[in-house]
Amino acid sequence: MKPLSEQNLYEILEVPCDAPEDDIVKAWDRVSALCVPGALATYTLMPPDEAALLGRRLEEALTILLDPTERQRYDAQLSPTPAPRRGGSDNASSGEVRPARRRLPPIIPARAMPPVLRPLAALEEPQELVAAAALAEATVSAVEPEPIPLQRVAVVETATESAAPTPTPTSTSTPTVTPTVTEAPPLAATPSALPELVPRAAPIPRPQELVVAEGTRFDGDMLRRAREQRGITLPQLCERTKISRHHVENLEAGRYDKLPAAVYLRGILMALAKELRLDGQKVARSYLELMASARPPPAR
Amino acid sequence: MADTRSLKLVTGPADAPRARAVRVAPRLGRVLSVGGGKGGIGKSLVATNLAIELSRRGEKVVLVDADLGGANLHTGLGLEPPKRTLQDFLEGRARRIEEVLTPTGLPNLALVSGAIDRVDSAHPKYAQKARLVKSLTALQADHVVVDLGAGTHLDVLDLFLVSDHGLLVLVPEPASVENGYRFLKAAFWRRVRNVVSAHGLEAQLRAVMADGTFRSPAEILRALSTQHPLAGALLAQQLEVFRPRLVVNQTRTPQDAEVGQAVVMAWRKFFGLELDYLGHVPHDPEMWHAMRARRPLLVHAPDAPSARSIGLIADQLAALDAAAGRSGRTT
Repeated sequence: MKPLSEQNLYEILEVPCDAPEDDIVKAWDRVSALCVPGALATYTLMPPDEAALLGRRLEEALTILLDPTERQRYDAQLSPTPAPRRGGSDNASSGEVRPARRRLPPIIPARAMPPVLRPLAALEEPQELVAAAALAEATVSAVEPEPIPLQRVAVVETATESAAPTPTPTSTSTPTVTPTVTEAPPLAATPSALPELVPRAAPIPRPQELVVAEGTRFDGDMLRRAREQRGITLPQLCERTKISRHHVENLEAGRYDKLPAAVYLRGILMALAKELRLDGQKVARSYLELMASARPPPAR
Repeated sequence: MADTRSLKLVTGPADAPRARAVRVAPRLGRVLSVGGGKGGIGKSLVATNLAIELSRRGEKVVLVDADLGGANLHTGLGLEPPKRTLQDFLEGRARRIEEVLTPTGLPNLALVSGAIDRVDSAHPKYAQKARLVKSLTALQADHVVVDLGAGTHLDVLDLFLVSDHGLLVLVPEPASVENGYRFLKAAFWRRVRNVVSAHGLEAQLRAVMADGTFRSPAEILRALSTQHPLAGALLAQQLEVFRPRLVVNQTRTPQDAEVGQAVVMAWRKFFGLELDYLGHVPHDPEMWHAMRARRPLLVHAPDAPSARSIGLIADQLAALDAAAGRSGRTT
């Protein structure tokens, strides 16, 4: 049993390294309940400095593990070999996997599409799909793109065939390659479409979309407007997020003194932001900063 | 604690064959003890009703009231204070513990009453305790359920440590949680000390522990292993096998029902050891009615939610036994 300071974030949360986001949020709730002041289960068991340490590690877990890019970077730090959650099918040696990992980032937005945390990703999503589909049509008859598994296979195959450590960029950067292998065109089309899109990913706001400028302060009013612009009523939001109505009302009205402790509030804000398709990290940070500046931090 | 002779309850490898010879019917999960540190949290209730539950499953069960000085299991069972008690056994008037068994009126269940009037018998001497432990483990029964007294007295800890299942009862209140942790820590260090001293390595452990302030066994293990690998290995083994079971009693809210899992997690996070959570017993007015009627809950209201939860706890214990049977003994 490693001491708290030496445990990695997954060990702190007691979840496997490939745990999905939902499990991480649930585990976070469970563990953070331990270091809330007055928690029953840790009474007389947990020294104050350990409690503070656990609190800090939990903050870390929230900012890193719920952000796909940050999490990937963290996973890479933890182990040089790829995390199993990226796909169980790869049996390539670590030398061959390297390029695969480097090529993964463009896929991340696609993987994180349904529950979008980052507003930019939300805006890019339709554009990407359209462009990818267009490109696929242009090359070969459209095959439903399945980016992650197909691409993995492609990488491994090309890597083993040519036995060179970095053959993938050349093979994928030429989408006009003639279909020699039966499956090659659809495989090449999807990955090449995505990296190309990233540079010209100027967010084109849809009419009903809330334009969130960089550095926006997410106060209660902002959250309310975001909700109204999405056409979500207060009861609907409460129903979907399982946050009690008076919390949401107090949140939107900025009644900071009536809100629960910051540890809980952070989770509430994250859930709220997720439902509103806003960046949970930014919303939570911004709101908690506003709250902290509005009143002195409560003595813990 | 240091100046008291400890029972050599955990025998070294050399003693193993002899220990097996003492056991009449060696099997898993035979001796269950119920402790908890604090008084009034339902240790006796859990012990009595668990014993009844097991006896109703066709197992022969002996319920032992080891709350010397505060024994009252006979009252909970609706019996008059038994004529023959542990006192007769401890003072040698009864040569065998079987002679002080009292029928309970319930099939498959007998009681060893601890109703003791003489004060000095409430604190048995070392030889008496050793004889009691030996007799309990040799009893001709499928299960021996031992109800322990409150506190972290060595008599209590030793009985807790010799059992196959040491059950810790908690109620979701700070005082009970505090005493529960204190009880677990005391039991753990008692056990470690017994094992380490059985190998003559007590001085080494004491030297390491005097060196610095340690929070958890894991930290001590690290320090001990660097200086005395053998003592370290022994401690590491104890970290593995010390696995009490947890029962949360008197849960009133859904949050209370989750206290068990939280305690297991907290114990692992901050003390580095494992607990097995058996389940919770909901707070139930029927319990109070049953006690006032001087009848066990399982007899008074077998369909009450609290009574049914006892069945689930027995299921969990059986599951643990089954798992231990597959992979060697754990406790």
